[in-house]
Amino acid sequence: MPALSKQEIKDLIERSYKARANVLEMMKKGEGHIGGAFSALDIITVLYNKILRHDPKRPKWEDRDRFILSAGHKVMGLYATLADQGYFEEEILWTYNTLNTRVPMHPDEKVLPGIEFPTGSLGHGLAVANGMALSARLDNKDFRVFVILGDGECAEGSVWEAAMSAGHHGVDNLTAIVDRNGFQVNGATTDIMDTSPFEDKFAAFGWEVTTIDGHDMGQIYDVLSKVPLKKGKPSAVIADTTKCKGLTFGEDKFEFHHWHCPADEIDDAIDIINEQKEAEHEKVK
Amino acid sequence: MKKSNKKIIYDDPRKVVASALVEAGEADPDIVFISCDSSLGASGDPFRQKFPARHFEFGIAEAGAMGQAAGLSISGKKPFITAYMPFITYRCFEQIRDDVAKTNLNVNIMGNNCGLSVGTLGPTHVVLEDVAVMRAIPNMTIFSPADGPQYNAAILKAAQIDGPVFLRVHRQKTPRIYKEGCKVEPGKADVLKEGSDVTLISTSSLVSNTLEAAEMLKGMGIDAEVINAYSLKPIDKDTILGSASKTKKVITIEEHTIMGGLGGITAELLAKECTATLDMIGIEDQFAVVGDYGDLLDYYGLTAEKLADRVKKLTEK
Repeated sequence: MPALSKQEIKDLIERSYKARANVLEMMKKGEGHIGGAFSALDIITVLYNKILRHDPKRPKWEDRDRFILSAGHKVMGLYATLADQGYFEEEILWTYNTLNTRVPMHPDEKVLPGIEFPTGSLGHGLAVANGMALSARLDNKDFRVFVILGDGECAEGSVWEAAMSAGHHGVDNLTAIVDRNGFQVNGATTDIMDTSPFEDKFAAFGWEVTTIDGHDMGQIYDVLSKVPLKKGKPSAVIADTTKCKGLTFGEDKFEFHHWHCPADEIDDAIDIINEQKEAEHEKVK
Repeated sequence: MKKSNKKIIYDDPRKVVASALVEAGEADPDIVFISCDSSLGASGDPFRQKFPARHFEFGIAEAGAMGQAAGLSISGKKPFITAYMPFITYRCFEQIRDDVAKTNLNVNIMGNNCGLSVGTLGPTHVVLEDVAVMRAIPNMTIFSPADGPQYNAAILKAAQIDGPVFLRVHRQKTPRIYKEGCKVEPGKADVLKEGSDVTLISTSSLVSNTLEAAEMLKGMGIDAEVINAYSLKPIDKDTILGSASKTKKVITIEEHTIMGGLGGITAELLAKECTATLDMIGIEDQFAVVGDYGDLLDYYGLTAEKLADRVKKLTEK
């Protein structure tokens, strides 16, 4: 795959920052897990715009690539992206935090097209993804499965049971992306439970591993468009990211893992997002 | 119809399950078998040999295995997953709840060696609370077959149920009560013996002891009705309440804690709908003592002789 053009990168920035602004709009209805939503958003934007074989009009298309957000609490960014892709009307986003909403704080596949699997309890997604990938292999189908894991999430033992199985079974249609933003709900991952080094751990479990800047659209695309990184092995992409990326006063602060923004400050926060979007565009020139 | 008058045949539940899995697998190519280092001892070996590509070994890692079962199932497969009872229920409980039950996937969980069947292994392996725990999960069907033909029927039925099924598999050989080719249905119980003085409801391997006890009770002048509650969830409310209304005296008999098991299930039904009295025979709130199966049945008063004696006393009180 050729590298992305500057225009393509600018388009991705536009969509990613529009999604951030929409997440903040949603938060006019109250609290949300903004930190992880924003750290993973550039990766999610590249996946849905450039990597995944999918069709928003046929969310259950049998041959679609699957995406599971294992760290389900990051889902606000995914909701905004799915709306942008046309999986559902944007108005649904504004029902966030209301009774029987289709965009709850953790995703529910039964109520919203585009959600492959319900997540929220950490440590479940990689095993489910591996099962999906094994099913594709059994049926001689060529769909691929992508998962985003949180770095704090990776303290869960079940992540490593799944990683061991994927390595053992050589599941090369599976790609795990670790959103290494360095923070979890109560502090830095290095203080709470040091889950590093991811590169060595996944390699030891039989994965092919690479590290990227999780906010560099070009790098994200270059790596994800080449998976499997090695035939016969699952691929692990360790993405260095910034917690709450784009909302400058929240960046790299664990307090923004889960945040209740005063409603009258949201519009100011959106202004900051738009400023940061322009700064990102500048970098592309 | 159900009661065989011929020579007693004993079935090994694991062997019946093994052949039923192959039969189900032949009929439906979407059926896959998942083991957690448990394929040989727990009924999966014939399936593994017959359909090697459809067998997945996920090792001693049940949480991961259950999640992978969910992933296979949501992609169209119908997994049967097996391990020792504690590991395939408690170790991966949240995966069962979130990944299998909330999604209502056709994942069939076979909990091996239920009740007191492996008593010498001690309380880490002897699980007496599985029904109480598993039945609290929405969407879950629970089968607890009484004999070989019922195990066969339960496997074939589980494959067809659009949702998760928990199948309790006993280790001990069981005398045959039903005819080969019998059917099971979720939400159904069978009246195996009609009677008018007391309703005895049992499940799994204790159904045969209960039937035997009922025969002994006949000689003591007590006419017991015996119900096999092989579907613990959903429970056959009509059959149980109908019998309870008739006899006005119900006794549940199980190799399980009476809290939340068959005793608890029946108490919930009677509390709402019927004025019959209820006694529960089973294990009190405790971990099992160690012993072989025969000794444990005797220790807990669950042999046919002791059951007859206990029922007699409870009926007379």
